[in-house]
Amino acid sequence: MTVEEQIREIVAKITRVDKSIITRQSTFKEIKADSLDVVQALVAVEEIFGIEIPDEEAQKFQNFGDFVSYVENRVAQGEKV
Amino acid sequence: MSLEGKLALVTGSGRGIGRAIALKLASQGADIVVNFFRHRESAEQTAKDIEALGVKAEVIRANVGDPAKVDEIFDMIGSKFGRLDILINNAASGVGRPVVDIDVKAWEWTMDINARALLLCAQRATKLMEGRGGKIVSISSLGSRFVLPNYTVVGVSKAALEALTRYLAIELAPLDICVNAVAASAVETEALKFYFKEGLVKDTRQVTPAGRMVIPEDVANVVAFLCSEEAFMIRGQTIIIDGGTSVGLFALAGK
Repeated sequence: MTVEEQIREIVAKITRVDKSIITRQSTFKEIKADSLDVVQALVAVEEIFGIEIPDEEAQKFQNFGDFVSYVENRVAQGEKV
Repeated sequence: MSLEGKLALVTGSGRGIGRAIALKLASQGADIVVNFFRHRESAEQTAKDIEALGVKAEVIRANVGDPAKVDEIFDMIGSKFGRLDILINNAASGVGRPVVDIDVKAWEWTMDINARALLLCAQRATKLMEGRGGKIVSISSLGSRFVLPNYTVVGVSKAALEALTRYLAIELAPLDICVNAVAASAVETEALKFYFKEGLVKDTRQVTPAGRMVIPEDVANVVAFLCSEEAFMIRGQTIIIDGGTSVGLFALAGK
């Protein structure tokens, strides 16, 4: 599974929406994710990818795609180290 | 420097009330373990400010709502310091919803962080305080006993926190561990901005006889007193810090 697919699974499970409706353009509101869902998704993603996503960064995410891109970059950086 | 040589863990001390408490205890000579969950930059700033006061600071990230993470905090303290003198159970979270919209997830998230964390932290702290005594102080809120809009889960979690404070105070008294809590009305912090947005609290200046909102330092001062030997005979209490708001409710209702 790609990073995007893994994050989509996590977000769908937490918000209980069908993962087929979650696109890169989807806003958290469209996915019906409230502030608690977002924090829980962040924590789950952090655990799986072994990274830390500070709230200062997470607050910049406008949509699901921003979230995925951020994690993809972090994972790629981790591989280089 | 009445706390010289003491070690204090302040959960959720990157920002707001926790940060003010950490700095207050550090100013009295205590070394501080700074715990944070979501805001690393703030926590590292708090640690720098603590070190500038001439004491040690150790930063550890952990969600105190997760039992495994609580263990990580205390495993670190055990191996690095081998002791603990003060536990400040401050970290809190919450979901602002009407009663009918509170689901199991929101309930458990809030209860785990705000109430169960005291149980788990106190259990581990007790072992590190054994033979030397200690102080445990928790941060509650007026919502534990008064109804605030959309504040149900947080209010209930704080009521549990206060009840647990009483039980701990009695059971841990033979170990020379003093357990108390403080409950403040709305305090001017970053978190408060979030609560305003969620509709959890309103501007309380108009209903505060003392004429201003509570600031983090007001809470830190009382917490520091509860950590001092002067407060030795105060056990299992929740001290209200609200500028008179709660006792003035009926007077204000008549205006």
